[in-house]
Formats: sequence, structure tokens, C-alpha cells
Amino acid sequence: MKRKALSVLLSAAMTAALLSGCGGSTGAASEAAPATSEAAPATSEAAPAADTASESGAEAAAEATSGAGASGKTFAIVVKSAGNAYNTKEEEGFKEVIEAAGGTVVVKEPEAATVDAQITAIQSLISQGVDSISVAANDENALQATLEEAMAAGIKVNSFDSKTNADSRMTFVNQAGTQEVGQTLLDAVYDLTGGEGQYAILSATSQATNQNAWIDAMKSIAEGDSKYANLELVEVAYGDDEPQKSTDQTQALLSKYPDLKVICAPTTVGVSAAAKVLQDQGSSVKLTGLGLPSEMAEYIGADDAHSCPYMFLWNPIDLGRLAAYSAIALVNGDITGAIGDSFTAGDMGDYTLTDAGDNGSEIILGPPFKFDPDNITEWKDVY
Amino acid sequence: MEQKSLIKKITGSREALLFCILIVLGIVVTVLNPTFFSPTNIAQIFRNNAIIMIMAVGMFCVMLTAGIDISITSTLAFSGMSIGMLQKHDIVQSTLLMFLIAMVIGCLAGFLNGLIISKGKVAPIICTMGFMYIWRGMAYVVGNSSWASGEDVSQFAKFGKDGTVGPYIILIIVYGLFFVLMKWTKFGRKIYAVGANAEAARVSGINVDNVLISAYTIMGLMAGLAGALSVSIYASAQPNMQYGKEMDVIAACVIGGVSMSGGRGTIVGTFLGALILAIVAKALPLVNVPSIAQNTVKGVIILVVVIVNVVSQRMIDKQNLERREM
Amino acid sequence: MAGKSGRSIKAEQDVSFKKLILSWEGVLFVLIILLNIFNASISPSYTVTNILREMPKYLAEILMMFPMAYILVLGDIDISVGSIVCLCATMTCFISNAGAPAIVTYIGCLVVGLICGMVNGTVATRFPELPSMIITLGTQIIYRGIAEISLGSGGSVSFNDTKKIMPLSRKIGPVPVVLFVVIIAAVIFTVVLAKCTFGRELYAIGSNKLSAFYAGVEVQKCRFIAYSLLGLMAGACGLFLTAYMYGANTTTGQGFEMEVIAMCVFGGIATTGGKGNLIGAIIAGAIIVLLRIALGQINLNSQLILVIIGAMLIIAVLIPGIQANIKARRKLKQAR
Repeated sequence: MKRKALSVLLSAAMTAALLSGCGGSTGAASEAAPATSEAAPATSEAAPAADTASESGAEAAAEATSGAGASGKTFAIVVKSAGNAYNTKEEEGFKEVIEAAGGTVVVKEPEAATVDAQITAIQSLISQGVDSISVAANDENALQATLEEAMAAGIKVNSFDSKTNADSRMTFVNQAGTQEVGQTLLDAVYDLTGGEGQYAILSATSQATNQNAWIDAMKSIAEGDSKYANLELVEVAYGDDEPQKSTDQTQALLSKYPDLKVICAPTTVGVSAAAKVLQDQGSSVKLTGLGLPSEMAEYIGADDAHSCPYMFLWNPIDLGRLAAYSAIALVNGDITGAIGDSFTAGDMGDYTLTDAGDNGSEIILGPPFKFDPDNITEWKDVY
Repeated sequence: MEQKSLIKKITGSREALLFCILIVLGIVVTVLNPTFFSPTNIAQIFRNNAIIMIMAVGMFCVMLTAGIDISITSTLAFSGMSIGMLQKHDIVQSTLLMFLIAMVIGCLAGFLNGLIISKGKVAPIICTMGFMYIWRGMAYVVGNSSWASGEDVSQFAKFGKDGTVGPYIILIIVYGLFFVLMKWTKFGRKIYAVGANAEAARVSGINVDNVLISAYTIMGLMAGLAGALSVSIYASAQPNMQYGKEMDVIAACVIGGVSMSGGRGTIVGTFLGALILAIVAKALPLVNVPSIAQNTVKGVIILVVVIVNVVSQRMIDKQNLERREM
Repeated sequence: MAGKSGRSIKAEQDVSFKKLILSWEGVLFVLIILLNIFNASISPSYTVTNILREMPKYLAEILMMFPMAYILVLGDIDISVGSIVCLCATMTCFISNAGAPAIVTYIGCLVVGLICGMVNGTVATRFPELPSMIITLGTQIIYRGIAEISLGSGGSVSFNDTKKIMPLSRKIGPVPVVLFVVIIAAVIFTVVLAKCTFGRELYAIGSNKLSAFYAGVEVQKCRFIAYSLLGLMAGACGLFLTAYMYGANTTTGQGFEMEVIAMCVFGGIATTGGKGNLIGAIIAGAIIVLLRIALGQINLNSQLILVIIGAMLIIAVLIPGIQANIKARRKLKQAR
């Protein structure tokens, strides 16, 4: 009996709590209405930065022809996961542009590189009523339901770095054309092997969208051109973007294929792990791929004491900046995400939206940049 | 007659059984890929798995007391990130000091675990689950969204570089020390006693709380040491480092015959258990198991080994029973 | 009347108002009221509509909390549920994409979950010497591994026809369908645990397996049922997740096991078995979910949120120990 009384009391009180909670919240919301602009930046750590950036930002904002309309608006960026230097650089570029244009930035770093965590983050952004969401997707299709909900709520959505499908975005800021990356990497392999011999690929996880697209591009280019006929891709190994597993996989490649000439690692964690293995062992196998200069500076060099003659990457800061400019253009209505739209990205110049090949549009940042012994010392302090 | 006793000896001792599994495993892999049994490969197995092996010693102590610690990789990440950041910002550069700092951080984390578990009477898995979240989060906070890698830690990385003896020496010292400690000292016996029957240990005058605290502190110490070693070997400190590897450590101990209900297990068994897991991880890519299936194979092996353990234990019990009936 | 409120089965005691408030459920109840006030004051977006909209993913997780409570009451643990969710979600997509009608897809997903749970249960009952943690550690790796193998190198799959799965993510007014399912499951599971023979047997086994056995409880059968139930509900969780993700990938459900266990433990269910009830766990689940939503809305660093939850967990489990300590000391004083 008493147990029943307890449960009745509890359930009654729970409803009361919910009601009181929401009652309080609506009250607080209306009270806080003028203060919203103050509450939001404080949490995104933009408030102190806004002051310092206001002077330098003023010029930049003046430069940015379309950026003027960003003041009073809130722009959100959702990266792949927390604690990743590459993602941090993207955030940096994004913040810089938005704050210069007078907007507010909300940075969401999901606790893990999973779709579940990203959905939670985006749902929370919808609740906050932000004006735009820029997302680097952990899975191409899985965010569709959530992002459609966001767009239905009037939020502009673009993806960058790693795309979402065409239905769940307005446009995609691509760091470099997929074919272009594939071609560049394959040419690097061709160059390092001397035109013939075995090479292997060390990728991130087996489901990494970008890496799979690049590897597929490399394979299809190699098949389609007789120039690459003497190159033999022996294996695609997956290091899961973990230093330990990448190390294991690199060592396995070396002992499995004694005639291996080149390893190509199109992922930042994999490339540095492989570089360390090759350099420590003094192996004759050469390495190329995509890597952060700050991580790779120690391994880049033309002589045999270094494992990586050269590698590639785009500037993640620029990628973040371009994502920000396109978000501003979307919010201001300068572009709608249709193919053929164009906008001015401040000092980065003019960009046009092109066909991404999946019924959606994309904006391509530019060709991947080559890091070699000549320029690595200059770039390693930048990112 | 002698043959029979040998078989009995093998089936009677878990370590011998594990050793047989290990040899069979080695032979199978070598037949499939002859490059497996080369000195460099063997050296790499120890070097790449030194972290798991070192933490397995700590986990062994904790599991002897019928406890468990799933916060270790978070402790590892926190201590590793801390020394990584100290190097990145050029505050400390001495290798020895780095190791000490990491070990002190680990010790404190372990001590906290022990304190809450023994004095607060909290179930070990829950307490360490809380700290799993806390220390991992702290690793991110300390890192402030950046990594320490490559040049930042180049000086420190020399210690764990391929071809140096640093990691092996640490491994030998740790295992040697604990072999002696657990087998021939009062302290080791106390840990066994507490794990086998805490109440009996208390009655016979052992300070159970202190033993628990020291077991968890040892675990923390090992996690801190592993954190420093991990930064040194892979020349990188990332907040998500070794994520999820605590399960590998637990699996190593269980495969090695350490009982989760406490009081049973040996340091040699732990070592062999960790070695079996290490060989499996090393061998799978070598024998052309597709990378995509490697996890499944690992899971099946863990399950099969523990079930074989149980079945053999049942056989031993049956044998003993039969002997008594005679 | 055998069953009593509170954290363990005790003999009849008087339930005064003071006792009610001092019980763990009472504490949690006060906490949830304070939490709502706190949340509303820190986040302007903390409204009922927004909470209901952000909730479904967490609600899907809570579906697993009920049978997990059973497992914990038994003194067992199951860390393979996150992987079961992954496998079920994956299989749902494959079944649906093979052209099966909606109802077959749903049932298929639940069956996959049930089978996974039964496998866990079979191993756990055939080899009772093995700790459940190590069994489910093995199956955790295997289930996700099977999902990885079947997903192939793409690592993710999505529905060809999302209409089939849409009814599950529908809303009735502002209320998502999954909330109704959670409420129904909550009532059933709570009543079974508190009032039915099966529930009582679970407590008996969790308190003392051997005496339960001698008292005629079919220990292994009960354990098998509990594991199977957990698998079934993990299937349900996977089903609802696919409805919100339009697909599945290899990271689906990662880390769910710890979150679900944390909710149970925070609700006063001891991992050592025989203690706790579902009312506490339900309130605790609500507290954790609401806190995460509110802290997310003020854009607190996601790692800091985990630190806060970790600290809450430790404090929550410390309190009973401290209480007991104080009580013991007081008694000692009185005795003197």
C-alpha cells in the first residue's frame, strides 16, 4: 500500500517538476530575451575574443563585401570530434571570419567521432535557434533526418571537410576535388617509385568517407591510364587513425612485402605513425600522403635519413574560413545552394558553386598544397 | 609413467597450458607466414605491446583483490597528455622527470580510486567508471584541443625509438619486480589473502583497506608509466590515446588465468595472457586476415581461450574428485 | 507482502514522510526538481518542446536501461549491448533494403537482438564460472565485428526507402512515439521487477545465488531470460536509432553500455546484485538526460559534460557508504 502511495506521489511530483521546469523556463526565456546575445557568446568563449578582434576584425569586415550582414546572427560549426588538432584549425578559421563580420560563433565538438554524438549536438543547436550550421559529417547519410529538421526550422546548413548527402545540405565546401586528390597522390607514388613497383596504402578506418573516395579515385585513375600499368597496389591497410594500430599495420606491410617501394597514407594520424616507423627503422621504403606540417616536419627531407620526401594537404584554416564565408552568404541570401551561384569570400576571392556529382552543389577550396623540404620549416608553425 | 605425469603436469598447471597455446599459435603463424618468427618481429611484438603488458601487471594486482579498474586508459591519457603539454610548451625536457611526473599523476589517480573503493565501500567498476569519464575529460581539457607530437616530443621520443632498449628494460624491471613481490613478500601474500577472502583477512589482522588502496595505487602507477611510455614510443600525445584498450588489458589478465572473483592468478600467467593477445594482434595482418574481420577474430579468440580455461578447470576438478574417490 | 520500497528487500518497516525523503528515490526526486529549476535558469532554450525534440536518442537508450537493471540486480553485467544495437541497426537496414515490408523489418530487428541476447545468455548459463563481464566483453567485440564485416569497406548503410522506418520517428503532437514505448516498457518492467515472482527471484539470485538455488529458484533459467530480454530491448533501441539516422554504421551505439549502466547505478541499483529498484533508475535516467540536454544547450565543452557526469556518479555511490558510516558511528556512541 505504502509503496503505491510512494509511486503515486512520485509520478505526481514528476509531472509537477516538469511543469515547474517549463514554467520557469518560459519565464526565464522571456526575461532573458534581451540577454540572449550576451549569454550565447559567453559560452562559446567568443565574448572576450570579440573585443580584441574588433579592431583587426573591422578592417576584415570592411573588406568582406558580403560579410557586413553577419552581425547579430549566430553561426554554428560542428566538427568531427573533440581533441583533434586538424579540427581545431578549421574552427580557428571559421571563428576568425565570423567574428570579423560581427557574428557570433558556437563551436560544437562532439565527445566522440560518432554520428550519435553529432546528432545530439545538432539537435541542441536547433533548440538554440542558430542561423546556420556548418558540419563535417561523420557519416554521409546518417545526419539526414536531423539536418532536414534543422532546415525546416529555417536554419541554413552547409557541410565542409566531409560531406553529407545532397538532401541534407545546401552546399558542400570541399577541401579539394576528389579526383584531384587521387591524381595528386597517384602521381606522387609514380614519382617516388620511379614508375614501377609495389606500393601500399595505409588508410584511416574502413568507413572513413573521404579516405575511401580518394582511394577509389586513385584506383580508377590507375586502371584507366596505361602510364600507371607498372604500379602494383599490394594492399589497403586500415590503421583506424590510432597511432598504435597504424604502427602495427605499417610494420606488417614491411614484413609482408619485402619489395615494397612506397607507402601512401592519406590520413594525418596514419602518415605520422608510418613516418616514424620508417624513419626509426631506416627503411628504404618512402612515404607520401596527406599530413599536418607541424606533425610531419621531423620526417620530411630529401635524403635517406628522412622517410617522407614530400606530402600534401590543404590549409584547414582556409577551409574553416571558406565554410564561414559560405555560411554568411547562405544566411544573407546571397546564395541558395544552387549550382552556378557565386559569392565573394572576403580576401579569398570569388567562388562559384559547382556540381558535386551527387545532385548537390559544392565549393572547391583549391588544389592540395605540396609540402617539401624547402617550405616545411615555414609551414610547420602555421598548422 | 613419466609421460603420464607430464600430461598431468601440463593439464594441471594453467601456465603450462597457456604456454602450449602460445607455442601452437606461434607455429601456426610461422607456417602461414615465415617472416613472423624473426628477431625484429619478436622485438616489435614486445615493444608495441609494452603498454598493455605493463598495465596488465597493475590489473593483475587489482583483480587479485576481486576488483577491476576500467579507468586506466583514461589515467594513461591524462598523464600522457600532461607530459606531452609540458614538452610542447617547453616547460620540462628531462626524460627522467617526464616519467616521474607521469607516474606521480598515475599514482594519485590510483590512490583516489583505492580510497573511494575501500573507505567508501563503492563497487570498483562503478567508481572507476566515474573516473574513466573524469580523467578522459581532463585529458581533453589539459590538451586544450591540441596534440603534442613529432617535434614537440622528439627529445622524449628518443627513449622509445625503434631499436633502443628503453621499453624492454622497463618491461623486464616491472615483471621481475612484481614476480618477486607477489611470490615471496608479505605484501604479495596479503593481496592474495584479501582477494581470496576479505573477511578472513581482516580477522587475521590484515588491514584490508590499506591493501586495497595500495593495489589501486599500483594500478595507477602502471597506468601513468604506460602513459609516458606510450608518448615516447609513438611520439605523440592525443587525448583519445589508447581509447578502449582497458578491455584488452582485462582480457589479457583473464586469458592469463587471473580470476575476476579474486585470489587466483599468477604474474607469469598474466604475462602469457598479454603475450597471446599481442601475438594475435601482430599475426592477424601477417596471415592475411582481411583487416575488416580482425576484430571479430580477436573476439572469438578471447572467448574461446576463456572457455577452454573453464573446461580444463572442470577437468582438473573432476580428476581431483576421482582421485579422492579412489 | 514481500516486496518493499527502498534499495533492498527488507522486512516491513514504517514509511514515514521523513523516511520517504531520505530514501534514495526521495533524494533523486528532490534533485530532479532542483535540476529543472537550475536548467531553466542557465539555458533560455530549455523548453518542453525543445526537450521533447532532443530526447528521442536518449529515450532509445533508456529502453535498454530496464532490462539492464534486471541484469545488475542479478549481480551480472552486460557490456555488449552497444554492439548489439549496432548489429541490429545494421541488419534492419539490410532487411529493409532487401525489400521486406515494414513490419518484417521491425520484427527482424527485434529477432536479431533477441538472438544476440540469447547467445550471451547461453554462454553465461552454460559456463556459470565465467564472469559475465568477460563473456560480454568477448561478444561485444564479436557483434560489432560481424556488423563491420557485413557493412564492408563503406562502413555504413542507409535505407533505400525511408518511408518504412518513418512511423517510428513520428510525433504525436510534440510527443515522439518512442516516449510512449518507453512509458509502456517502464510500467511493465517496473511492475514485473517489484511485484511478480520473476522479479522477486531476480532479487533472490542477486542476494545469494546458492540459497536461491536451494529455495527452488531456477537460477540459470532466470539469468537466461534476463539476458534475452536485454538483447530484445537492445534490438528495440537499434530500431528506433535507425529511424532517426536513416541507416547505421560501425560506430552506432558505441559507448551506450556504460551510459546505460551509469543510469542504473545512479538510480541506486548496486552492481553487486540484489539491491535497487526501477523507480530510482527511471528518475536517475531522467536526471542524466535532462542535465545533458541543458548543458548541451549552453554549449559546454562535451568532455566537461562527461567529467560532470562522472563526478555525479561517484558522489552518488559514495553517499550510501557515508550514510552507513555515520549511522554506525552514532550507534557506537549510543552503545557507549
